[in-house]
Amino acid sequence: MNAYLGVDIGSRTVKVILLDEEGRILARGLATAGYDGPAVAAGLVAQACAEACISPSEVAASVATGYGRGRYPGADAESSEITCHARGARHLVPDARTVIDIGGQDSKVIRLDGAGRVLDFVMNDRCAAGTGRFLEVMADALGVAVSELAALHARAERAVPVSSTCTVFAESEVISHLARGVAPADIVAGLHAAIASRVLALAERVGLEPVLTCTGGVARNAGFVSALSSAARMPVVVPDDAQFAGALGAALLALARQAERR
Amino acid sequence: MARNYPRLRSGAELTGLMLEHYTRALDPGHSQPVAWVTSGAPVELLRAMDVIAVYPENLGAVYASQGAVPLCEAAEALGYNRDLCSYARISLGAVAAPELAPLGGPGRPDLLIACNNICGTVVKWFEALARQFNVPLFVLDTPFLYGDAIASHALAYVAGQLEDLIRWLERVAGRRLDRARLDEALALSNETVALWREIRYLCRARPSPLSAPDLFVTMAAIVVLRGTPEAVAFYRQLRDEATERVRLGISAVDGERFRLLWDNIAIWPRIYHFFSQFARRGACFVADTYTGAWDVEVEPGDPLESLARTYLGIFLNRSLAYRAERMAGLIREFGCDGFVMHSNRSCKPFSLGQAAARRRVAAATGVPGLLFEADMCDTRAYAEEPIANRVQAFLEALEGRAP
Repeated sequence: MNAYLGVDIGSRTVKVILLDEEGRILARGLATAGYDGPAVAAGLVAQACAEACISPSEVAASVATGYGRGRYPGADAESSEITCHARGARHLVPDARTVIDIGGQDSKVIRLDGAGRVLDFVMNDRCAAGTGRFLEVMADALGVAVSELAALHARAERAVPVSSTCTVFAESEVISHLARGVAPADIVAGLHAAIASRVLALAERVGLEPVLTCTGGVARNAGFVSALSSAARMPVVVPDDAQFAGALGAALLALARQAERR
Repeated sequence: MARNYPRLRSGAELTGLMLEHYTRALDPGHSQPVAWVTSGAPVELLRAMDVIAVYPENLGAVYASQGAVPLCEAAEALGYNRDLCSYARISLGAVAAPELAPLGGPGRPDLLIACNNICGTVVKWFEALARQFNVPLFVLDTPFLYGDAIASHALAYVAGQLEDLIRWLERVAGRRLDRARLDEALALSNETVALWREIRYLCRARPSPLSAPDLFVTMAAIVVLRGTPEAVAFYRQLRDEATERVRLGISAVDGERFRLLWDNIAIWPRIYHFFSQFARRGACFVADTYTGAWDVEVEPGDPLESLARTYLGIFLNRSLAYRAERMAGLIREFGCDGFVMHSNRSCKPFSLGQAAARRRVAAATGVPGLLFEADMCDTRAYAEEPIANRVQAFLEALEGRAP
């Protein structure tokens, strides 16, 4: 059996996806990137192959994406995250025209045409504000796990403004809010609103067209997604495999490249 | 890695010319007066009066190609902010610490001329130089052009200042302006400009005989030696070489696949490194908004009024609408498939409004544009990974559009 592999080595996490010839998901894997993303990726690929009951030699084609793509020797080709995320998001949400992807250390907005081609894209500046890493730092400051942020947000009575766009300054702001007795839930709602407004400012550069979908690890945070939806004044579709969009796009690219070769 | 740029024969010629110019200009025992001038200053007047013109902006680019961060840091140590233009920081740093600068440092000026048609920074920068060297400074003030036409009062205002500039030059340089020699300098200047235009427009050919990095390197002569017989001879040679390339079908970039427009000043310390990311995928920069800044002839008629018109009308002194239209025009004329905008931390007039211009140009032409952040000289503002990532994504998107 021929399988197709997509590997997304991000700054914070590594994702892998194995597809069969019909583009159905055989296995997926996710782990923290740590300091050696490519090695983590190799481990995940071995696990995914075992889970799918295939031998690594049955991987007919593979594509790597993400910041660590150039250092991963196990792929036939590499592709930028924009191309892979566009393809993955389009597969998960076929009528998507705007993709907002918020990963560990960057956020990107991609505009697609009706055929799923990239019309335009924009990425954040060299700053971690408004990314997954930003939320990790803020969760630390609040003494909660990142996975608890959505539940906290749901209990918020109001969103306390967090004005700093810099991660370091925003952290001090959160700490001073806590010191003044502001409810953590209200701070979390403020943080989500801050990220939403920052990413929408980015989206305005390329234009925000429905259907809007959100991918990347931060899309799993329902609190952020509701903040994004109300700021964008449109529904936000979050697919089940949102965090795997890049790896899925890479695997689909591997499948397409193989089909072209035939 | 394969060599993606066939070398220009004319390149060696240019190196010789520039070296000769700077050897003369930087010679501490120079007999002719040396004026430090901004790139948009009316150099033809200086040619006619045998005043040597030195361009600190060009020196900045030359220094930067050899690594100028220590010079930037020298200026920052004096208190100049890191957000200040890197040409200004390099210049002020090289004056403060000439031992850190190539070619034995920038030497010293006898007089200074700053024209604010390119930016406001040059005024304060040259004021700092004037204090430092205790030499006279002339500031030529060119009002910003909001519309298409040059208002008669703006023209009269600048022409009047040019009269003042001549009187000032005669006094501080101690020589008279010979009008016949001015006509001669203007004629040589126009000849240089016409050749430069011809060379740039040869890039309409498919494949293009030259790419932006070729023009960025060879433009040194139009900036520094405009209005001299040496510049005319050099550009004739370059024109002939490019014409020959067109005739033989020699391309600047192997297997030209995409034709692109470049906006803003080059990234001097990374010039080949940066553009090779494009060349590797067959993308050639066939047009740009930077080298065209010197593609402006001095019209016939009253020389001072013509000079005023020329130096008022340069690209950076014009509205965003004009610039976006110009870019769209170049994209059509040169058959570009996309455009790349360098948001240059140093050059605020060039970079401000690029996000809006990008939307306008893309809407007008239907081709995509990439905007990325870097700096023309300061490599500390060049983020290797994020830039490579954006460039790759942009080229992949172009490939995705290709039929």
